[in-house]
Amino acid sequence: MVQASKVDQRPASTEAAGGEIKQSRELFRILFHSSPIGAYIIQNGHFRLVNHQLAHISGYEESELVGKPSLSFVLAEDRESVRENAIRMLKGECSVGYEFRIVTKRAKIKWVMETVAPVYYRRKRATLGSLIDVTERKQVEERLKQMTAEMQRSNTELEQFAYVISHDLQEPLRMVSSYTQLLAKRYRNELDSDADEFITYAVDGAKRMQTLLHDLLGYSRVGTRGKPFGLVNCEHIVQQATANLKIAIEENAASVTYDVLPTVMGDEGQLVQLFQNLIGNALKFRREEPPSIHISVQRRNNVVTFSVKDNGIGIDPRQSQSIFEIFRRLHTREEYPGTGMGLAICKKIVERHGGNISVQSRPGEGSTFHFSIDMGGGEAE
Amino acid sequence: MEILLVDDNPGDLRLAAEALKEGDAQVRLHTVQDGMEAMAFLRRTGEYMDVPRPDLILLDLNMPRMNGRQVLAEIKEDSTLKYIPVVVLTGSRELEDMVKTYDLHANSYVTKPTDFEQFIVMLNSITSFWLSVLGYEWRGVN
Repeated sequence: MVQASKVDQRPASTEAAGGEIKQSRELFRILFHSSPIGAYIIQNGHFRLVNHQLAHISGYEESELVGKPSLSFVLAEDRESVRENAIRMLKGECSVGYEFRIVTKRAKIKWVMETVAPVYYRRKRATLGSLIDVTERKQVEERLKQMTAEMQRSNTELEQFAYVISHDLQEPLRMVSSYTQLLAKRYRNELDSDADEFITYAVDGAKRMQTLLHDLLGYSRVGTRGKPFGLVNCEHIVQQATANLKIAIEENAASVTYDVLPTVMGDEGQLVQLFQNLIGNALKFRREEPPSIHISVQRRNNVVTFSVKDNGIGIDPRQSQSIFEIFRRLHTREEYPGTGMGLAICKKIVERHGGNISVQSRPGEGSTFHFSIDMGGGEAE
Repeated sequence: MEILLVDDNPGDLRLAAEALKEGDAQVRLHTVQDGMEAMAFLRRTGEYMDVPRPDLILLDLNMPRMNGRQVLAEIKEDSTLKYIPVVVLTGSRELEDMVKTYDLHANSYVTKPTDFEQFIVMLNSITSFWLSVLGYEWRGVN
């Protein structure tokens, strides 16, 4: 058996060792006291050593801190959790980035982020801690949280508002529309030609308003009547969408093809509506030649991007943003009927699924709509 | 055929009358404007002592005092009234309303079409359907 030779780890001489210890103590002292981070040593729950920066953050003199129970500077509500954290740390886990509040000498509350580690100080167990003042970041976070909550609230309110008005306006409008139709039915040709024209416009206006309300209701339902997300096979979704459009596809002699499509997390009914609106648009805004629509998919990390490509009339690139706004139309009602709500609904569905929608197009050369779905699966907040 | 139409909106009452006029079914339309009146009509109390028992009830859901759901529940719990077919005629397209209505044993749930021509077709097909299935014998029973 070969005996492993021992490496001599002792310093060359005790004199040199004493010099090195002195040197490292000096290094520690400089580092400790000039650090821009509040640093301290706690033993038996009391500050034994504190630096300038901790004094600065807390507003106390160093001499006012040393010897005092460290928890007494912690905001009363946070003491319990700070104590628990200290116990966990003593069991051997280092604690990094723990956040709590302290009370300064001027009775101001400050948020701090602390890192602590078990050490030996003067041969006894102790805690070496360091902390920074994160009050400003906390305040910004808090403000951001409030603003997000406020925005969510106002969004929900708006959706509810749109839902209620479109729902409740249907009733009186049905009266206007029905009675103008009844007038037209009973009295057309009995009055003069002006009256007939007026009635025609009134009937037409009421009908249009009904379609608008109906579509507005559909738009607000995306937010208010959405279903919880589940696993959804996109090939089934596209098959369902094309089945719903069967007549239109046959009438236009269109071809709809698609690659192998993945399974995603989403609201099945809404995803059918999304594909149906996009395919339906491709059929509607067709050129002379039969519509040809192809759906492809790309996957990057957690995001799946679908592309719906057609050979239709295309869209002026200057309009590529505005077409997703509600009631936005690029053609007259005589050219293409519709309220201009379809793509706005698409956008809302995609956003609810944590994604984005956009279009690439040149007039006369067809359009490709791209939309992404976040596979993280969570509904966009 | 006697039809009782329950709706709080006079515009709707008149519209139904006009729509039935456009059809060729032989019907007599009775109208009341809320649930309390509907129950008084069906039980022939107060001013409704001499009214006929309807062969068909057309019922709106949203009404003051006593709404359509309450009327429906009361009709279907009354052994003398529960055989009268009740068609719920409403502006609501909510699935939830439909489910609740069928839970209460409505015979049909129909959304009022926004187009008047469609309304005429719908109302007349409802009445002619019930007219054909009820038969004269049955109508005598009530």
